[in-house]
Amino acid sequence: MPKDKKKEEVTEVEHVDRNISSFSQISHLIDAEIITRLTLSHNKLTSVPPNIADLVNLQSLNLWNNQIEDLPPSISSLSKLRILNVGMNKLSILPRGFGSFASLEILDLTYNNLSERSLPGNFFFIQTLRALYLGDNDFEMLPGDVENLQNLQILVLRENDLLSLPKEIGKLSRLQELHIQGNRLAMIPPELGNLELVGDKKTLRLEHNPFIPRIQSEIGIEYFKRKSEAGSWKSEFHSTLVPGTVELFESGTSG
Amino acid sequence: MVCGGMDSDHHINGDLARGFENMVCVRCNDGFSMQDQMVNSSGQVWHSECFVCAQCFEPFPDGIYFEFEGRKYCEHDFHVLYSPCCGKCNEFIVGRVIKAMNASWHPACFCCEICSKQLADIGFLRNAGRALCRECNEREKAAGHGRYVCHKCHAMIDDGQHIKFRGDSFHPYHFKCKRCNVELTTASREVNGELYCLRCHDTMGIPICGACHRPIEERVVAALGKHWHVDHFVCSVCEKPFLGHRHYERKGLPYCEQHFHKLFGNLCFKCGDPCCGEVFQALQKTWCVKCFSCSFCDKKLDQKTKFYEFDMKPTCRRCYDRFPTELKKRISESLKDRDVENQRRSMSPGPK
Repeated sequence: MPKDKKKEEVTEVEHVDRNISSFSQISHLIDAEIITRLTLSHNKLTSVPPNIADLVNLQSLNLWNNQIEDLPPSISSLSKLRILNVGMNKLSILPRGFGSFASLEILDLTYNNLSERSLPGNFFFIQTLRALYLGDNDFEMLPGDVENLQNLQILVLRENDLLSLPKEIGKLSRLQELHIQGNRLAMIPPELGNLELVGDKKTLRLEHNPFIPRIQSEIGIEYFKRKSEAGSWKSEFHSTLVPGTVELFESGTSG
Repeated sequence: MVCGGMDSDHHINGDLARGFENMVCVRCNDGFSMQDQMVNSSGQVWHSECFVCAQCFEPFPDGIYFEFEGRKYCEHDFHVLYSPCCGKCNEFIVGRVIKAMNASWHPACFCCEICSKQLADIGFLRNAGRALCRECNEREKAAGHGRYVCHKCHAMIDDGQHIKFRGDSFHPYHFKCKRCNVELTTASREVNGELYCLRCHDTMGIPICGACHRPIEERVVAALGKHWHVDHFVCSVCEKPFLGHRHYERKGLPYCEQHFHKLFGNLCFKCGDPCCGEVFQALQKTWCVKCFSCSFCDKKLDQKTKFYEFDMKPTCRRCYDRFPTELKKRISESLKDRDVENQRRSMSPGPK
C-alpha cells in the first residue's frame, strides 16, 4: 500500500480488511480528482457518503463485504465507473435513478437483501452493462425490462426465490453465462432456446430447481448428455422440452 | 528558273551558216555538220538529239522545258524534282502556292476543314492541328471545351476515346501493345511506363485488388490470399484501412484489433480492452496479466496462486475463507452435486 507516497500520485487506493467503519477515515488519503480505483473490501462501512460523486475519474469501486444498507443516489453520476462491487452487504433497496450510470460494465450485487421491489425504474437501462451478479438475493421474479440490457453477457440469479423467468430473457442475444440454479423454477421460458448457452465459453447452470418432471428429466439426463454436443441440444430444447412445458402448465393451473 | 519554248524546226538560217564551223553543241561539245539539225536557244546551240530533259533524256514534249540552275527539264521531271505538292490533292502546284500548316497548297485546296471555305485570302486559325476559318474556330473552341487533345497528333479526341500515357492524353491508335504489338484501344493499361493491351496486361500477373477488382499499379498489400490496394484493405467492421497496422483474420475477413476482439471475444473481462500478448484464461474468460485479480478484494493473482470459482469469478483464498459459513456450505453442496452429476454423465451411455 503506497501510503507513504504523496497522495496526488496515487490513483489506486486499496484498504482491505482494515476495520474501516466510515469513509471519513480514509478521505485524507484520496485525491478526489485523480483516483481511478478504490477498494475497501472486508471493512465495516455502513454507508457511502454522497460526495462519492466527487471521485470523478473513478473507474472501479469495490465495497465487497461491508455492512452498507443504502447507497446515495449520487453514486450513479460517477460517469467513468466501469466496475461496481457492492456484494455481501445489507442492501435492501437501490437508490432512485441507479440505472443512469454512463459507463458501468460490471455490477456485483451478490449476497444482499434485494428483490424486484428494490430496483428503481431505470435499473435495466444501463446500456453498457456486461455482467450483472444478483446471486444470493431475494428475487421472486425478474422484470421483463431485463431485455433492455442488450450488452449483457453474464446474468447470475443463483440462489434467489425465482418462481419464473420472463420470456424477454430470450432477447439477451449476447448472453454467455446464465446462472439460475437454486431457485423455485418449475419452468423455463421456451424463448431461452433462442440463446446459445451451451458450448465453448458458455455457462448454463440450472440445477436445484423444482422443475416439472418433464423438464427435470430433460435437464438431468438429456441436457447433461447433450451438453457435449451443443448443436443438437438447442433443437432438442425446442422440440421436446417446450411442448411438454405448455401441456403440464395448463393442466397445473386448471387443477 | 527559266521557262522557255522553241520550235523543233528552228533551223539555223543561211546568215549564220558562215560561222557554224566554230560552233559546238552545249551538251556533247561536238561540232555540227551540214546535215545536223541544230537547236538554238538563248544564244546556245545543241544538236537536235542533244536538246533533251536533263532528267529523263527525252525530247521536251511540245518543245516546252523548264530550266533550273542551268539544267533544262521536261515539265514532268521539273515538277517531280522541284514543284511543291498540294497538301490536299497531292497534285503539283504551278503558279500561286499557299504555304501554311507546314505544307503547300493550291489556293483552291486550302480550305476550312469544317465549312470548306477557301482560306487563301481571308486567313486561317490553327485549331488542334486543323486550319479553320475564324467563325468555325470560335464555334469549335466553345464546343470543344473540356475535351482531350491528342498529345501526338494534336487533334481533338472524341469523348471517352482517349488513353492516358505518362500523364498525357492520346488517341489509343497511335500506340501498339508493348507485348503483342496489336494496335491499342481505350482498354489498354500502362504498366511501368509501357502500354499493354488488356489481354496482355491481364496475363502479366498484375495483381487485382480483392476489394475493387481493379489492377493494382502502386503498392500492393498481400493478405488473406489476395492482393489489395493499400487503401482498400480495411477492417470488415469499421472499414478503416490498416495501413500496415496489425490485422486479424476470421472466416476470410480482416478485422482491426478492436473489432476482432469485440466480435470474437478476447476482450479482457475486467478492463474491456483487447488482450494482447500474455493473457490469463480461466472460468471461460480472458484477462490481461495486469487485470487478473480476485473479484472481491482486487488482490493480484498469478498462475501460481490458487483461486476458487464463485459464480465463475476468480476468488482468492482469503476472500473465500471469509465467506459466511452457510454460503460455503451451499457452495460445497452444489460442488458435490456437480461431481455426482459428472460421474453419472460419464457412466451413462451417452450418444456418440
